[in-house]
Parts: sequence; C-alpha cells; structure tokens
Amino acid sequence: MALDSIGSNPPPFFRQGLSALSKLVLFGLLSVLLMAADHRLGVSQPIRSAVSLVLAPVQWLALLPQRGSSAVQDYFKGVDEARDAARQYQARTIAQAQRLQQAEQLLQENQHLRQLLDLRQDTAGPSRAVQVLYETADPYTHNIVIDKGALSGIAAGSAVVDVAGVVGQVTRVHPLSSEVTLLTDRDQSIPVLNARTGQRYIAMGDPTTLGGSLELRFVPASADLQEGDLLTTSGIDGVYPAGLQVGRVKQIDRRIDTAFAKVHATPMAQTRGRHMLVLAPVSDWPARPTKPEPAVRTRPGRGQASAPKTGASAPTGDKP
Amino acid sequence: MIMPAGRHLLLPANPRFILASLFLALLLNMLLGLSGQSWLPDVLALALVFWTIHQPHHVGMLTAFVLGVAMDVHESALLGQNALAYVCLSFMASMVHRRVLWFPVREQPLQLLPLFVAAAVVEWLTRLITHDAWPHWSQLLAPLLQTALWPLCSHLLLAPQRRPVERDDIRPL
Repeated sequence: MALDSIGSNPPPFFRQGLSALSKLVLFGLLSVLLMAADHRLGVSQPIRSAVSLVLAPVQWLALLPQRGSSAVQDYFKGVDEARDAARQYQARTIAQAQRLQQAEQLLQENQHLRQLLDLRQDTAGPSRAVQVLYETADPYTHNIVIDKGALSGIAAGSAVVDVAGVVGQVTRVHPLSSEVTLLTDRDQSIPVLNARTGQRYIAMGDPTTLGGSLELRFVPASADLQEGDLLTTSGIDGVYPAGLQVGRVKQIDRRIDTAFAKVHATPMAQTRGRHMLVLAPVSDWPARPTKPEPAVRTRPGRGQASAPKTGASAPTGDKP
Repeated sequence: MIMPAGRHLLLPANPRFILASLFLALLLNMLLGLSGQSWLPDVLALALVFWTIHQPHHVGMLTAFVLGVAMDVHESALLGQNALAYVCLSFMASMVHRRVLWFPVREQPLQLLPLFVAAAVVEWLTRLITHDAWPHWSQLLAPLLQTALWPLCSHLLLAPQRRPVERDDIRPL
C-alpha cells in the first residue's frame, strides 16, 4: 500500500512472499534461460507461438489506427493517382505481353532441353499473396511481420518476393502470422549469381552501410565485377527459386592489403511495400546417393572397450 | 500514517484501473513501435515503474516479466531481452519506491533517470553479448524522454485517486 493513500486494509507484515532480491534472481535467470533457449538452443518456437497467439488480438487492436490512417490517406489520394497508376500498369502490361508470349515458348523449350540433358527441374512451388502487418520495432534486427501463418500453410524458410525482387525469407512461423527476415538483416545471407558473368557469391545483410545494403563476402580482389551488375538468386540452395532478382552492385572497394574486395549491393525490393508473395521452398533435391554402409555400427565410449574403433573416426554423413 | 507535509490523502488504487493502464501502455508501445523510430520512449516501462513505485503490492517483477516477454514476441527480438530489462527496472523501482515518494513530483524524475538508463544499458549489453550489435545513438534519447514524461504520467495515472471521497453532485467544482 502506498504511503499516502487511504488503505482499506493494512499492508501484510508476515506474508511478504519472496524477497525482492530473490525475485530478481528468479526472473533474471528465467530471462537468461529464455535467451539461451532462443539464441543458442533454438527451442523457443513453441513459447513464441503460444505468446503470439495470445497477443494476436492485442496486435490487431494496436494496428487499428495505422489501418485507419492508411485508409483515409488512400481515400484522399484521389482518383488522379489511381488513374495514373492504372495507365502505368497498362503500359507495362503491353510491354510485357510480347515477352510473356515468348516466355511460354521458352519455358517449353527449356523443359524439353532439360529433359534431354537429364537436368533437375527448377519449378517454382505454390505461391501465396500476403500483406505486411508491421515492421518490428527491435532496432537490432530487420524483420517484418506478415498476416499469414502456419494455419494458411506458410512454411519456415520460404522466400518472400515483391514486384522488384527478393525481400527476404520467412524465419519464424506463428499460427496466425509469420516473421520475415529482410535481406539487410545482419544474420541473413542469400546465395546470388552475377547475371553478367555467372559467378556465384554469398550476399550477407549489412544494416549499417548505405542505409541497409548487401555485402558480398569472400570475393577475390581480381573477380570480374562491375558496378551495376545484376545479382539474381542462383537456385543451388534449394530454398530460393533460381533467377529472382536480388540486387545491383553499388560499390566495389578493392584494397591492396587484403586479398578480398569489399563489395556492396543495394537490394532491388522495396521493403516499404504492403503486398508480397511467399514462394514455397523449392526443395526438389536429387535423391541422395545410396552409400553402402557398414553392417555394424559401434559407438565410441560405449559397449565393449576392447572393440576396434575404426568406424567411429570415419566420416558418417556427407552433405549433398 | 507518516507522509510528506502538504500532500493530499489519496483514494486506494483500483486494481482494474492498474490493469487497464498497463494494457493501454502496451498498446501505445506497440503503436509507437510501428513508426520504426528507436528514440521514442518506452511507455510500458514508464507505466511499469509508476505502478511499482506507487502500488508495489499489486505490480511487481512478475508483471514486468510477463509484459517483457509479450514485447519480445511482438518485436521479434531475442526472447527475454525486454523481459530482463523490465525485471531489472522493476527491481530497482521497488528498491527506491519508499524514497522517491518523499520528493515532490517535479524532483522525482531526477531520482528515476538512473533507473531508465540502467534498464537501457541492460538491454544494450544483452544485444552486445549475444549478437555483437551496437545500439544506434538515437536510442540514447529514449531513457531521457521517459524521464521527462514522468510528471505527465504521474498526473494522469494518479487522477482517479484524487477524486473526492464522497461524490457530491451539488458541489460547484
């Protein structure tokens, strides 16, 4: 009971519960445990999903003002803008119509050639249109939250694209919403292909340079790269379908003292857009080659100590 | 009852009002977070500190922990990052709650500034240790703004307790 209020009952003398310090230790340790479970062990997904399910109505309520204001803005933007946009889209559709017709033929031709060469099919999986709910407020990560979740069939690892190119990847799936990590997040990486030369690189997110960009790592200083080169997904990861536009090389910094060049690229996708497309992971790997395995597996440190441990040191798993 | 001189005797706080104000603070915090500006004050932390100081038997570290986890999930931050900061904040508030109330409202913010700064430092350290990520300089503003908002928060949240004990419809004021 506070010092200066009329108390209906006196403060408890004996039933004080845990002391403040022990409460701090308890909840502090619980928080640290949660962090460890989240960061190191990666087992916190059920907790997150449960909390997000409880939080969903609150979030819906918190998003109401934003939705209202955007609706009002849309209304007052007027017909002119809508007409302009429609005209633009019409022009673009006409420009694309011819290419689209060619694409159909090229697709068939490509399929035929791939069959001839016995190559892997790179078919894009089913896609799903989603809407962006909000951008997360955590200043250390670049995430957005979309309005479809596990109940709508979103799978973790799916690529997210907009009109211009790849936006990011679905990293956490809750029942009613999902979190998409943008390409510019510091922990995000994407395999890319230089469309001009066909060389492959890995682009990592770099949230600080150029207001959010991609950094190509481990690029030899002598690599054939020019400013303005288009980077597309290479499709060798089994996650992103091949050929999606990722970004353009913005600046190349070749230094004498290192063997690697510092290459920065700007992402093509505009993350401020509201409508996006979630592409299911490609995941049609060729079947894993069957390897004749030894009939008896012995585990080191268990069972007979006198058994020869030759099998234990040999590599047992190989990555595809 | 010992209390500072020249202070009104307040009505007991309504637990439902406490709950509603914390819920509203959570909503407001989510709304502020949508703007993507990291210098905006953490309203939830402010409400939490206020109630920990004024009603330590109703609001404590358990509330802080639960609200912190909720914010973590909403922000998709590291799970436990906000929870740890809020629990530390609530602990420090419960340590100083007897002292702070002896000061007039305009001097209380100075007593609370170290609390908000310490909570922010806890959060930065967490991220520095786990992700090696430095905070943006604009985040330094948030604890200062929270401190500056304290008198306003204090007036708003104490208003229901300042009503007269007996309702008198004829009274002119």
